[in-house]
Amino acid sequence: MRYASLRWLGLLCFATIASGCASKSYVVLLESPDGTTGAIVVQTSQGVTRIDKKHQGIALDSRSSQTFTVAQTRLDKDFSAAMSAQPILPKSYLLYFELGDTKLTADSEAKIPEVIQTIRDRGPSAVSVIGHTDTASGDVWNERLGLMRAQTIAKLLKANGLQAIELIVTSHGESNLLVKTPNETREPKNRRVEVTIR
Amino acid sequence: MIAAFMLNVPATSGLSHLRLRKINREKTTVFIPQKILFWLFACLIFSAASHAEEPKAVIGYVMKAEGEAFVTLDGITQPAVIGLPLQVGSSLNTGTEGSMGVTLADNTVMSFGPNTEVSLDAFLYKPDQGDLKLSTRISRGTLNFISGVIAKLKPEAVEINTPTGTIGVRGTHFLVKVDS
Repeated sequence: MRYASLRWLGLLCFATIASGCASKSYVVLLESPDGTTGAIVVQTSQGVTRIDKKHQGIALDSRSSQTFTVAQTRLDKDFSAAMSAQPILPKSYLLYFELGDTKLTADSEAKIPEVIQTIRDRGPSAVSVIGHTDTASGDVWNERLGLMRAQTIAKLLKANGLQAIELIVTSHGESNLLVKTPNETREPKNRRVEVTIR
Repeated sequence: MIAAFMLNVPATSGLSHLRLRKINREKTTVFIPQKILFWLFACLIFSAASHAEEPKAVIGYVMKAEGEAFVTLDGITQPAVIGLPLQVGSSLNTGTEGSMGVTLADNTVMSFGPNTEVSLDAFLYKPDQGDLKLSTRISRGTLNFISGVIAKLKPEAVEINTPTGTIGVRGTHFLVKVDS
């Protein structure tokens, strides 16, 4: 009886060792969509491990905190379904405005057709339109000007057949500067509307 | 065409109205010891406070779904379809032939293969107030994760929990497999 259970224990140990390098639960780092590779920090009962090379993996359920390289064939086998269910990545546009106005700069006006085309190509999307201003004039007015700018763009998108799951139109006024400036500073890069399509 | 819109700037503000809820009070003639009364009062305040909360915010949407794919919230399970809203507490499930992809408000993108169970445990996205948090849990299956703005602004605010480990995100793309 005792020997039988020892044999089982031995088998179990062997199975654990054999599956050690093909761990069942693991995490693996990939290249980011922008071409860089970031990092993850993985905490298990074995401690904390930082992973910062692409295709480097670590087991989540083993006694080892050794990292390993995951072959492409294994990635395909384990993750092809998850990868092919990945939604199109969000895309943002910055549209710039004339001083104290809801009139787009000529360059940004020329960009509008591209924004509209992107939304059409993606199908139903969640769209956010956030208006910003520079620090010229008071913050109450700028909150309002930012909203007017955002509404101008939202109206434009709707008039061009925007089919949005969600359309959020809001203003950050002068509180979210792209280029940090002191108060009462005219800065063309801060007079903008950010359209995010996700 | 564009110029025409410039002239027609609407003057409405985007502010929404605060909703007020009534709380019904009942008179009682039954003798209640002071201690119990205290707790009843505490409960009343607590429930009034939780009733006064805004409706749960939408934190993202299902953007892709195939086969058996479901979203459960507050005990109600719905088939995952494109545009189905997600909230904190939503639990996402796929069957043997199912897969699903979601995009969150901070541009985080997650997708799942078959036999997967993931819950959205915490999500705070108020960059202007510094309130940032994303916490998800995968209890089985496969997850493809591409981090968004929260991980960019406050990397330590993002965590992916698994039954045997926690993954902290430093702005990146990774895959997780959890065998049940």
